[in-house]
Amino acid sequence: MPVQLTNDDIRSLVYQTCQALDDENFDKYLSLCAPDYQYQITAYSPEIRKEQTWLKHDRNEMVGLFKMLPQHVRMPGRFFRQACVGSIGDLTKNTEAVHITSSLVVAYTEPEGLSRLFAVGRYEDKIAANGKSPVLLSRTVRLDTRDLSPGAHVPL
Amino acid sequence: MSRSETQWQNPPPLQSREYVSSEIYNNEMIFAEEIEKIHRRTWKFVCHESEIPLAGDYRTIDHTGVPLMVIRGEDGEIRTFINACSHRGALVARELSGNAKKLVCFFHLWAYDTKGNCVEMTRPEGFAECGLSKADTGLRRVRTETRLGLVFINLDDKAMSLSDYLGDALEWFEEPMGTVPLEVFHYNRGVQNANWKQWHETNMELYHEWGHVVNRTTSVAAKGYHERLWRIYPNGHGSLEPLRVQYKNYKGWENRDDQLLPGLTPGEFRVLDIFPNTTIIIRATTIRIDTSTPIAPGKTLVEHRGLGVLGEPENVRADRQKNHNQFWGPFGRNLSEDVIFVEAVNRGIADGGMPYGLFCRHENMMSQDDEIMRAYYEVWESIWDVKPVIP
Repeated sequence: MPVQLTNDDIRSLVYQTCQALDDENFDKYLSLCAPDYQYQITAYSPEIRKEQTWLKHDRNEMVGLFKMLPQHVRMPGRFFRQACVGSIGDLTKNTEAVHITSSLVVAYTEPEGLSRLFAVGRYEDKIAANGKSPVLLSRTVRLDTRDLSPGAHVPL
Repeated sequence: MSRSETQWQNPPPLQSREYVSSEIYNNEMIFAEEIEKIHRRTWKFVCHESEIPLAGDYRTIDHTGVPLMVIRGEDGEIRTFINACSHRGALVARELSGNAKKLVCFFHLWAYDTKGNCVEMTRPEGFAECGLSKADTGLRRVRTETRLGLVFINLDDKAMSLSDYLGDALEWFEEPMGTVPLEVFHYNRGVQNANWKQWHETNMELYHEWGHVVNRTTSVAAKGYHERLWRIYPNGHGSLEPLRVQYKNYKGWENRDDQLLPGLTPGEFRVLDIFPNTTIIIRATTIRIDTSTPIAPGKTLVEHRGLGVLGEPENVRADRQKNHNQFWGPFGRNLSEDVIFVEAVNRGIADGGMPYGLFCRHENMMSQDDEIMRAYYEVWESIWDVKPVIP
């Protein structure tokens, strides 16, 4: 018997996805994602007047990305993702998924302790509403920040 | 064996062209001279023609602190102007890109056409007494030439032509970039805590590919990697013979056998470094163009473009974009690491740190030979009327 999700379930899921990525606990992150999970990062460029996709992965590709991370040269500090859930689709409707929009702020803290703003944008999530516990079906990270130097190896 | 203070400060026991002083990266006076003698006198890549496809389309850019506007005229010609109104100097175009049949300054509403002619002076009778007219107040035009869709500008009206400047440097790029219309589908920029030359060095010096796991597995391990020869052209440009990269060597990736750009074989890699700070890299299906804008000795804006075929089907574009993003873009597996490398070098060569950088590898002009950088710095030195004082 499917369980109806609440706003709190959804807020908790979004928070847990952020925390799992911050902690680089990728098994935990993947446990919050559906088997056919789709992830992408997009940004509009006013320079070329085009929507751009900067990363687009299915679940298997995310697994591969996480597995290879230890072999890469990466920024030595820590990322902190703060997502504030702003809009939740109608949970009373008998739908298989709800659409969630959250504002996103990502900070980066250097090993010496200095923190700086890394990126701002939005999460546009699709979350399964009829399961026993909520899972992410898809996430689009729509970035306002386009200067991300030096970039990042871990998804936002 | 570790070295004493004196040993550390002494020039290395090498030929003078086999090392550079760290002063060339962190000295304010050298930086100021570079702006005047190099960046404002040589050809600079500013955009791809596909960024301004229609009459009136424009892009604004900052070139060594000079605001520029690159615009396609009603006659189809691409022109560049200093983006400053002839009245009080306010920016005429204030957006990063746009379309305008007439460029109107928002301050006092003077207007210009796409050829840079002043076509309107608000309440012109006020200028009658001093005799100033529209004929005197056109925009400052900047030399603009295009090769293979690449738009270059030069602030120096007396400089050699772009064709003479590039010579044969684009020879490996004529077919992939000149036989089908291309389009920029990716643009990102980032300010790096590094000198502008350090970024260009990273695009020339392939010895550092050992530091990237993607390059180590897909390229350095590929057959023929080390045997490729550099071609060094006049004016400081250099390109490397093609290589078949084995993309499948990186876990989860596939080789690039389809949707190849014209004239390329599967997995083929080509690179061209254009003096002083532009690089074109082709990875079988997609093209990256880097160019930089020096901000300060240790601060550089780097722009990255990704190109595909204009008008291709959505699914083909998606594959090409995926290929691009595997290596490049802010979430690619390679580009971010290069930024981390150059910023680390810039930290290490700070005043009191490492006094010299070594470009002393000799491998018979093969891929990890430093001759490309030695040749680059010979041109860099030749620009100076009086060579900068290097300890």
